[in-house]
Amino acid sequence: MHVSVLPGQRGLRHRHVPERALVQTGAAQHAGGCGELTIVPDATQPPLLALTGVSRSYGERLALSPIDVSVAAGECVAVMGANGSGKSTLLRIAAGRDAPSTGHVVYAGRRLIQDDVAVRTEIAVVGDMVSAYPDLTVREHLQLVAVAHGAGRETDELVDRALLECRLADHAAALPGSLSSGQRQALHLAAVLVRPRRLMVLDEPEQRLDPAARRWLAGLLLTQKRAGATLLMATHHAELASAVADHVIVLRDGEVIGRGTPDAALAAAQ
Amino acid sequence: MTVTREAIAVPDSTGTTIALLRELRRDRARQRAANAAYWIYLVVLTVALYGGSRIAATAHDVRHPPLPTAQTPHVLHAAPYGLTALALLLLLVLVRDALWRGPVTLQQPAVDWLLDTPVDRGRLLRPRFRMSAAVATLAGVAVGIVPAAALVSLGLGGHSVGHVLRLTGAAMLSTALLFILGTGSAGLIERYPASWRWLRRATPAVAALVAVLGGLAAWAALGRLPAAVADVVIWSGPWAWTTQGMIALSGGSAPLWQLSTVLLGAAALMALFWAERAAAGVPGAALRVRARTIGAMSAAVLNMDTRGVALAYGDAAGPRRIWFRLRPPRRRELVLPWRDLLAVARAPARLLGAAALALAAVGLIAVAGHAGQVSVVAVGSGLALGYLGAAWLCEGARLDAEDTRRSAALPFRFESLAWWHAIVPCLVLFVVAGVPVAAVAVATGNPGLIALLAVTVPVLVTGALVNVFRPRFMPDLFGGFETPVGNSAAIVVVFWLILGPLLAVVPLAVLLPSALAASHAGELARAVVVGAALAIGLGAYAARRAAKLYSA
Repeated sequence: MHVSVLPGQRGLRHRHVPERALVQTGAAQHAGGCGELTIVPDATQPPLLALTGVSRSYGERLALSPIDVSVAAGECVAVMGANGSGKSTLLRIAAGRDAPSTGHVVYAGRRLIQDDVAVRTEIAVVGDMVSAYPDLTVREHLQLVAVAHGAGRETDELVDRALLECRLADHAAALPGSLSSGQRQALHLAAVLVRPRRLMVLDEPEQRLDPAARRWLAGLLLTQKRAGATLLMATHHAELASAVADHVIVLRDGEVIGRGTPDAALAAAQ
Repeated sequence: MTVTREAIAVPDSTGTTIALLRELRRDRARQRAANAAYWIYLVVLTVALYGGSRIAATAHDVRHPPLPTAQTPHVLHAAPYGLTALALLLLLVLVRDALWRGPVTLQQPAVDWLLDTPVDRGRLLRPRFRMSAAVATLAGVAVGIVPAAALVSLGLGGHSVGHVLRLTGAAMLSTALLFILGTGSAGLIERYPASWRWLRRATPAVAALVAVLGGLAAWAALGRLPAAVADVVIWSGPWAWTTQGMIALSGGSAPLWQLSTVLLGAAALMALFWAERAAAGVPGAALRVRARTIGAMSAAVLNMDTRGVALAYGDAAGPRRIWFRLRPPRRRELVLPWRDLLAVARAPARLLGAAALALAAVGLIAVAGHAGQVSVVAVGSGLALGYLGAAWLCEGARLDAEDTRRSAALPFRFESLAWWHAIVPCLVLFVVAGVPVAAVAVATGNPGLIALLAVTVPVLVTGALVNVFRPRFMPDLFGGFETPVGNSAAIVVVFWLILGPLLAVVPLAVLLPSALAASHAGELARAVVVGAALAIGLGAYAARRAAKLYSA
C-alpha cells in the first residue's frame, strides 16, 4: 500500500523565489521570507475549498452570518476575531464536521457533506483535541494515525520525521499523561504530519504554546505551505497570521468586518 | 461556479488499523478483563455469602407459591394498566438514551484519533452497537424477574412451581424483547438527528400517558372499569404486548398473548436489524458530543459528584433557551435573591419538581397527622421529600459553591452568602406549601400548623445549604482510619454525602410528631422554639462551611 503525504497537487505552480521576495497572484500575497520554494496559488484554477452563502444558527442564535470564502490550492487563509465571533463554527463547517444552516461547501469539486470519508482522507484538522489514549506512547499515537491513513511500510519514516519536526523526538516513548500542554499540542500537530493533508484546517493551533513555540509553529506552517498544503486557520495572533497567511478574514459576532491581505484586513477591522 | 469533481482515493486501512490498536492495547485489555473477572468474583461471592440463604428460601417458596388473598382480584384488574404503564415508561427511558448516550458510543480517545481517519465507520461502530444490544438483552432478562416476583408474591403465581417458572420465563422473555426494541429504536434515533427534536417533544406526552395509565390502574383496582378498556390498553402498542404473557399466566384475560409475544419479537428484531445497519451512519458530531458527555459523567461519578452527573446529562441537550428575564435590583441586598430567582426560574423542571416534592411532603405529613397516632416514619418520609425539594431550590448556592470564583466579585463576606442564598428557597417553599397548609389549618381550626411550617421550611433549607457548602470530595476519604469496629471510610463518606439531611430531617422527625399530636399550646411552642434554634444553628454551620470552602 502506498500513500502520498501530499497527494494531488493539481492547480499549483512551483517556482523559486529569492528570500524576502513577495509573490502576488490575484488577491493572494505571501511574504514567507525564509524558504526557497514557494507554491503560488493559480487564479485560473477553481478554488480547492469554496464556502458559498454559508451560515450557522443554533436555535434562534445566529453564530455565523452568510459568508463566502474560497481558498485556492496552496493558499493560506487566516480567520481572526474575538472569542465567540464565529471562527470555530466556520472552520467546523469547512472541515465537514458540522452542517451549515444555509449555503454549501465545495471541496475539490465535490459538495461537502458531514463525515464524508473521502474528505477525511485529505482534510487534516487540528482542533480542540483534549484527549489521548492513556496507555499509548507518543510514537504509538502517531503510528496509529499513519496506519489508519494507509501509510504501510512508510509509517516509521513518517513518524520519525514528524517527531523531529514537532520537537517530540525525546518524548517518543512517553505516555501522554507526562507531556506538558504545549507538548500535547505539538503531538496533535505531529498527528497531522503523518497523514495526507491537502487541506489543513487549524483551529487556534497556537493555543497552549509559549512565544518560542509559536515561532516554531509559524515556521512549521510555512514549510507545509511551501510543500503545497492549503491552510485554513483560525488564530488570535496577528503575528502568526501575518507570517503565514496570504489572506485574512476578520469576524465579529459572526459577520465579516474585514478581509484582504493581513495588513489590509487587520487595518479595516480596527 | 464551475468546478470539476476530483477523484479522491480512500485507502482501505480499517483492518490494519484495528489490528494495530488491538495489538498496542493488548496489555490494557488484559488488565480490564482481569478487573472484570475480579468484580464478577466479588459479586458472586457476596451473593453466595449474604444472599445464599435468601436464595434457598426463595427456591423453597417457589415450590409453594403464596395463595391468592382478598386483594388479589383487585391486583389482577389493575395489572393490565399498571404493567403497561411500567413497560411504556421503561421503553421511554431506553429510547431517550439516544439523546445523550445512545447505544453507539466511542470513548473520547477513539473519537479524537480515529474519527478523522478513513477507517470504515461501520466496522468501528457496529461492534459497539452489538455490545450495547447484548448488554440490554441481559439487563432485560434480569429486570423481567421483578414483575414476575411481584405477581407471585401478590398471590398470582398459580399453584405449582411449573406455573411460577412459566410466568417468570414469560416475563423475562417479554422484558428482554422490550429492551431489545428500545435499544434498536434508540440506535435508529441516534442515527437520524432530525428525530431527536420529535423525541424531546413527545416525552411529556408519553409521561402524561404513563400517569393516565397509573390512574386507570387505580380505578381498575376499585373494579369500576369495563374489561373492554383493558383490551384496548394491552393492544395499544409494542410496550403493551410485553405485558400480555404476564397477564395471561397470572390468570388475567389476554387470550392472544402468544401472538402478541410473536409480534413483539418481530418488532424487536426488526428494530435491531435496522439499527445495526444504521450504526455506521451515526454522525461524527453526535459521537463527539456523546464522548464528551460520557467523559464528564464518568469524571463526576468518580468524584461522587451527583450534580456533575446531572449537569453532564443536561449539557448533552445543547444550550438552553433563556425565556425568563428579570430586571436587576437597585439595592445590593437584593442581588443574591435576584440571582437565585433567575437560577430557579430558568430551570422550570427543577422548580416544578421541587414544588411537587413539597406538596407530596405536605400531603404525607398531613395524612400522618390525621391518623391519630402520628407515625415518626411517615413524618420522616415527608420531611425527606421536603428536604429534597429544598435542595433542588438551592441552585444559586450550588452554583457559587461549585466554583467559588463566581461570587468573588460580590461585595459580601463569604460567610454571609449562605444566609442570602436561603431566602429564595424559603420563599418558594412557603408559597408552595403554605397554601395547602393554610387550608388545612383553617379547615381543622389549628393555626399552629402554619407556625410549624414557618420553622420547618428554614430548617430544611439551611440543612440543604449545609450539604451545598460541603468540602470538596477528596479521594483520601476512602482511606478512612482504623477503629476498634473496623475502618471508618464508609461512614466518613456517608457523612460527607448526607450530613445536611441528617442534621435537618432527623431532629424534625422527632420534633414534629409530638407537635402535630399535641393538644396544648405548650408542646407546639416548644417545637417552634426548638425548630427556630435548629434553623439558626444549621444556617450558622452552613455559613461556616461556606467560609471554609472559599478559603480552601
